[in-house]
Amino acid sequence: MASAELRAIRRRIKSVQSTMKITRAMELIAASRIVKAHQRVSAAQPYTRKMAEVVGNVGAASGGAPHPLLEHREVETAGVLVVSSDRGLAGAYNTNVIRMAEARLIELAGQGVDTRVYVVGKRAQSYLRYRGYRIERAFLGITDTPGYGDARAIANLLMNDYAEGTIDSVEAYSTEYVSALTQTAARWPILPIIPPEKEEGAGEEAASFGYSYEPSAATLLGLLLPRYVEAAMFGLLLDASASEHAARRRAMKAATENADDLTRLLSRQANQARQAEITTEISEIVGGAEALTQG
Amino acid sequence: MAKTFLLEVVSPESIVWSGRAEMLVTRTTEGEIGILADHEPTMAALSTGSSVITAEGGERVTLAIHGGFLQILRNEVTLLTDRAEIVEGDRAAAAELAQSLAEAGDSAG
Repeated sequence: MASAELRAIRRRIKSVQSTMKITRAMELIAASRIVKAHQRVSAAQPYTRKMAEVVGNVGAASGGAPHPLLEHREVETAGVLVVSSDRGLAGAYNTNVIRMAEARLIELAGQGVDTRVYVVGKRAQSYLRYRGYRIERAFLGITDTPGYGDARAIANLLMNDYAEGTIDSVEAYSTEYVSALTQTAARWPILPIIPPEKEEGAGEEAASFGYSYEPSAATLLGLLLPRYVEAAMFGLLLDASASEHAARRRAMKAATENADDLTRLLSRQANQARQAEITTEISEIVGGAEALTQG
Repeated sequence: MAKTFLLEVVSPESIVWSGRAEMLVTRTTEGEIGILADHEPTMAALSTGSSVITAEGGERVTLAIHGGFLQILRNEVTLLTDRAEIVEGDRAAAAELAQSLAEAGDSAG
């Protein structure tokens, strides 16, 4: 008959072990997702890089033609986009980026600037809503594997609000995938667009040769800039997604290791309890026998 | 042998085609355009339709393209497409696929 203590410890061991199974599974899933997410990041890079190059060249060749998306306005209302994940269990991934955005929201409020909050992912939505921020729009269910269509939807909404004058600037808070071990929350200015540096020499060459435009340079710039914002947004989402998986893998690895340690500790305690029980039983028997012989 | 130029067809999610080409025929918002090596620097907006690449050596590749930009600079041609896919078959099939890409894109966007 196992004592109450021994039973309690065995029950805990079981619960820790089944948690460990879950965390290990999540770790493996996240690890496989990182690879895919990372491939997507690399696959998207040529487009983003070319887009920056083209925008830089056209911007340089068109001699700084004005465009609403390039124009700096007095900021009365700032749009803030927070990119988080839909699910937790990713260590400090969500906390880092949300805290950073919240600090900025408080700072803006302190400067007397109104803010409009846009979020990606349930985590930021529930956190900020709980803190009493009004959330203009939440994009959910896209952080796992963001598609270009998702990026376009977000970019279009932001550009629309910007064009209508509801917001005078947009900044995004998102996590940058530096490496498998390092992901850092960072702030990205989205609107007004800060034109990319033109490629060394390319602008002058294009200007001296004279690009031929179909249609006009200004029209082209008008078509290009929204695409540029979309591409930037897509890059942001892909980076965030890769970071999320990397953070989750790390958190789950730590959890699995902890569970392993805990199991070892608990089974030691269980053995001790069992041993103590046997010792008690033996001394009871011995005591009983002793009493009989003396009697 | 015909002179060649460097051609890259990129979409947001991947590089669709890249290599040296002898000729590219594609459709801009202003109409069809054929490009050979040493074309003058050009920027153009692409419309929905088919494109045909004649790769170095004469092999033909047909692509369905929906929207994007064309840049020609220093004998390097870049097609920055919203969506692009390589098509097995003739240009009619490509045009059809481009149309379906356009519709898919509009519903997704």
